Amino acid sequence: MNNTHPDILALITTLKMAGLTTIILMLIGTPLAWYLAKMQSRAKVFIEALVALPLVLPPTVLGFYLLLVFSPQYLPGQLWQQATGQQLAFSFSAIVIGSVLYSLPFVVQPLQKAFEQLGDDLLEAAAMLGASAFDRFFTIVLPITKASFITAASLGFAHTVGEFGVVLMIGGNIPGETRVLSIALFDHVEAFDYAQAHIISISLVISSLVLLSLIYLLNRPAQNNQTKSKRVN
Amino acid sequence: MAELMPELMPELNLNFTVQHDDFSLSIDEKISLTGITGIFGHSGSGKSTLLKVIAGLEKQANGKLSLNNDELLNSEAKLFVAAQDRNIGLVFQNSRLFPHLSVEENLRYGQKRNKNSVLKFSEIVELTQLDKLLDKAVTQLSGGEQQRVALARAILAEPRLLLLDEPLSALDDKNKIVLLALLTKVKQTLNLPMLYVSHSLNEIQQLADKLLVLSAGKVSHHGDIHHVIHQLTTNHDILHQTSLSLTVKEHLPEYGLTSLALGEQQIFIACDHEPNTEKQVRCIIAAGDISITLHEPIESSIVNHLHGVITVLGKIGSTDGRNAQMLITVNCSGQNFFVTITTWSTKRLSLTVGQRIFIQFKANAVRSLR
Repeated sequence: MNNTHPDILALITTLKMAGLTTIILMLIGTPLAWYLAKMQSRAKVFIEALVALPLVLPPTVLGFYLLLVFSPQYLPGQLWQQATGQQLAFSFSAIVIGSVLYSLPFVVQPLQKAFEQLGDDLLEAAAMLGASAFDRFFTIVLPITKASFITAASLGFAHTVGEFGVVLMIGGNIPGETRVLSIALFDHVEAFDYAQAHIISISLVISSLVLLSLIYLLNRPAQNNQTKSKRVN
Repeated sequence: MAELMPELMPELNLNFTVQHDDFSLSIDEKISLTGITGIFGHSGSGKSTLLKVIAGLEKQANGKLSLNNDELLNSEAKLFVAAQDRNIGLVFQNSRLFPHLSVEENLRYGQKRNKNSVLKFSEIVELTQLDKLLDKAVTQLSGGEQQRVALARAILAEPRLLLLDEPLSALDDKNKIVLLALLTKVKQTLNLPMLYVSHSLNEIQQLADKLLVLSAGKVSHHGDIHHVIHQLTTNHDILHQTSLSLTVKEHLPEYGLTSLALGEQQIFIACDHEPNTEKQVRCIIAAGDISITLHEPIESSIVNHLHGVITVLGKIGSTDGRNAQMLITVNCSGQNFFVTITTWSTKRLSLTVGQRIFIQFKANAVRSLR
């Protein structure tokens, strides 16, 4: 590990964090989006606002409160320490949890929109043909809203790669543990190592551009299909 | 016999209420499931809600529901069988085909999920004339084709009961006739009980053997189709009309006419094709299209004239007597015909109950949706 270039190490940490975050986000974001799309209670507005909060808050605010909660002085941090024997704040787990909260709206919102657009008509039709809820999700919901799942996962991943404030607050700058690309970039700039800063910056710009282009490319024909089928139905 | 073998008498037992903010449905009814039962009512009468309760798509229903002694809903016992476990089919107003699947995949969706499937895929495809469309995307289909796929898909799932919720309402007249003919064929070929909901009495009259009428969330009539239509006619609930099922006697292609037997008399209907498979023809004659003469109108261009006896003379219209019309029931060879004429004509002809008269109507006045 010590022989690896610190920036490569930061890249690996970033990919690990973003990958794990995306998996967790898809697992909790999908049922949450489903619940929000189907629910009619008044609490819905509040939950929607809560999910969207990271869009408007400075990441440092979220980071600050998470830092408090993760510290051994507070119950969550305490429980974590009892269970794992390690401090939660300034750990890899901390930045993953922080990223999940921070990127949640990027996953929940496109999924919720897709589920709302899908409506109940096809699901009722599938139920009348003997398909259980589980069956309906995998044979109707998933294939029809596939593009939105790809969008949600990509946006969740890309946004996690690009985060800075939350990681800085709760992760600090531990190489191989919490030192991600955005932090490494900040370090280089502080040290006036602009050449190295350029390498990281331009790589992030290009890879983000490629990823976003791919999302839009994937979404375009799929969305056309959806409107087409809507019209005919 | 029926009591000894209840499984031979498929029956739907309904005893429930549905309460929404602005609407309530309260049903206590037994529907014996043979052939097609039409469910008629104006919009807001609760007919779609009734179907949803039977299908298991309406979770607000309170009470009991059972199909062939198999309990599907019992609120007291907190029993609610989910829609997918009821083995009941539903054809919706909009076809609701799965846009990501081909026609064939749509058709097989329900069949694959029925473990006791016995129907042959190819036979149903042939019956519904979908063989040429199997590989198509459902988005490429016309409205009529989509509804045919939806019907075939529901049939292939082999439900115990097929519900049809205004399946023709989104179609143009030409496609309506095609699908009605198909439904008639399905009824003759498969032993599949159906409940057919529609706000169009014409559609129901063409298909159903029995008719259940919903009005403001309650059952107002339930019985033999022609009998109920005549009840509605005498109650002035619908456009006054005579509803008939008659046997084909003879086809006269050179005149574009078909004659139907009514006892020893006959009725001519306009029919440009041989009514090949059907021996029985359903027809409706609006009461305003029939007139009464005292003598047989042998020198008339009007082809249909039947002799009969006046059994009822009833007044319709405003109570102050102005613009009042008479609804006259005439029995011709055992069949009641309903005729509306003005009170003035009634007086002029001095019509009385028990009088022997003739009714006449054009072949074109006999409406039959085929």
